[in-house]
Amino acid sequence: MNTLLLSHELLVLALGLGLLLVDLWLPLPAKRKLGYVAALGTGLILLYSLVCVRVPPEGAAGYAFSQMYVLDGLALFFKRFFLLAALLVLLLSVEFADRITSGLSEYYALVLFALAGMLFAASANNFTLLFAALELITITFYILTSFQRHRVASLEAGVKYLVIGALSTAFMVFGIALVYGLSHTLSFDGLARAAGALGGNRVFLFGLVLILAGLGFKIAVVPFQIWVPDVYQGAPVPTTAFLAIGSKAAGFVLLLRVLFLAVPDITAHWPHLLMLLSGASILYGNLCAIPQRNLKRLLGYSGIAHAGYLLLGVAALSAAGRAAVLYYLSGYLFTVLAAFTVICVALRQVDGEDLGALAGLHRRSPLLAATMTLAMASFAGIPPLAGFFGKFLLLKAVLEQAPACAAYYYLTFLALAGIVISLYYYFNVVRVIYWSANATDLSPIPISGPIRLAIYACIAGMLYLGLFPGGILNLATEAVKALP
Amino acid sequence: MNIGLEHYLAVSMLLFCLGLLGVIARRNLLIIYMSLELMLNAANLALVACSRFTHNLDGQVFVFFIITVAAAEVAVGLALIVALYRKRQTAHVEDLTLLKL
Repeated sequence: MNTLLLSHELLVLALGLGLLLVDLWLPLPAKRKLGYVAALGTGLILLYSLVCVRVPPEGAAGYAFSQMYVLDGLALFFKRFFLLAALLVLLLSVEFADRITSGLSEYYALVLFALAGMLFAASANNFTLLFAALELITITFYILTSFQRHRVASLEAGVKYLVIGALSTAFMVFGIALVYGLSHTLSFDGLARAAGALGGNRVFLFGLVLILAGLGFKIAVVPFQIWVPDVYQGAPVPTTAFLAIGSKAAGFVLLLRVLFLAVPDITAHWPHLLMLLSGASILYGNLCAIPQRNLKRLLGYSGIAHAGYLLLGVAALSAAGRAAVLYYLSGYLFTVLAAFTVICVALRQVDGEDLGALAGLHRRSPLLAATMTLAMASFAGIPPLAGFFGKFLLLKAVLEQAPACAAYYYLTFLALAGIVISLYYYFNVVRVIYWSANATDLSPIPISGPIRLAIYACIAGMLYLGLFPGGILNLATEAVKALP
Repeated sequence: MNIGLEHYLAVSMLLFCLGLLGVIARRNLLIIYMSLELMLNAANLALVACSRFTHNLDGQVFVFFIITVAAAEVAVGLALIVALYRKRQTAHVEDLTLLKL
């Protein structure tokens, strides 16, 4: 077995364990700085990945653990994606550090362990690794969610996430048991060979649906979305940000692998199911976001809607659709992290992230106000930002399939209606920032150097992806060639 | 009577449904948590039975992973429930009403 295949995961795990060790000898005031070490380490691993790891050519993917683990273009794309997300989340965590009363180093280490789970998830080629990676992510997030033990809201969010997360795990494991019992294999390749003969077996299909339920919980799609608003609201801001982007993307890479690698024959008969989930998520997320006053809760509901948009690309059942999913996730990464960085910095003094607390932000800090405006515009899909081109690609992929099946037209219409609804609540946030008259506190907001850097990176990412989509789109198109 | 795979699977399905019923119907967090573990064990039983009757060891290996993960999940979960109990003096789901619209 080639250990180099696992280099990303091993380096991240070593970094996490190293942080825990160093923590033993560090005096209390210095612990906060440990977050910068973690971010720097993650950055170096990302650099190593970009410079030293070559994208494996098509058909020459590397395998480890008797084909349980695969390193192909898709895995590598998502590994870099997760490393970038974790880097920005770690910078955000340092900013948030004064609101965490104890165990700060553990917080950084847990972010890295969750990252390791995501890196493994990107490479899963077998239900055993899929399960282990997903649980590494989920269990770490139970702790990260309830990390502010002095706040009841944080604990309550943790318990709710725990119960619903464990329930979805149980569903998924039982589904895997049923699929295994009928196909006698846990590997995706083996299942692809066996699934053709089992396509008509109801128990097998039921097992697959249970597995989809488990993955649907991770990507927060209707009807498995019930935990999202509460957990997003109660969790510490960096956790929410990581949950919104990392956990969702991990769910999507596993969904893509299961649907198109393990059971491609059956997926080809399921576009209606995927369309239903996608349409329901778009409608539910956008409609429920309208009355929200809590910013994190609002972003939670909008996250459900975005899971619906992303499912459009999966439901299109085409390579263009899958590439659009990867592109949209890249744009979503910068947008979500920009929004949560602003929430973290601007609402430092306020308990609870009420929308009204943003009033007068353009006078307190023009940079934060501009960032939030750009993020909201990108969420809503206003050109020339990343969100616009992502939505365009997704809808284009769906419309390309429409001549074969009229339902795609309805889905496109539904998605467009969702986008129009979302304009209302996204621009309500912008309205509060610039035109609200109830600003009470007009003191300038200090922004630390690393956070400024993170904000610039997010703005640059949103604009670059929107103005020059070609680069990332090529990468995404290359990456999805790993899926047949 | 000869006990075959379907008997094991029937018991496993029964356990799974009992666990699900517990999660839905009970109101105490600890009992909900016990029911969740019961659901995981139902899956374990199904996996071991399938593995035994098809002479394929993958399923039994997978069960070891599930047991390990379930242990980690219980450790985190109970700690969380205890921390919540210390704050709120309650382990009932009706009292978790801080976060809502």
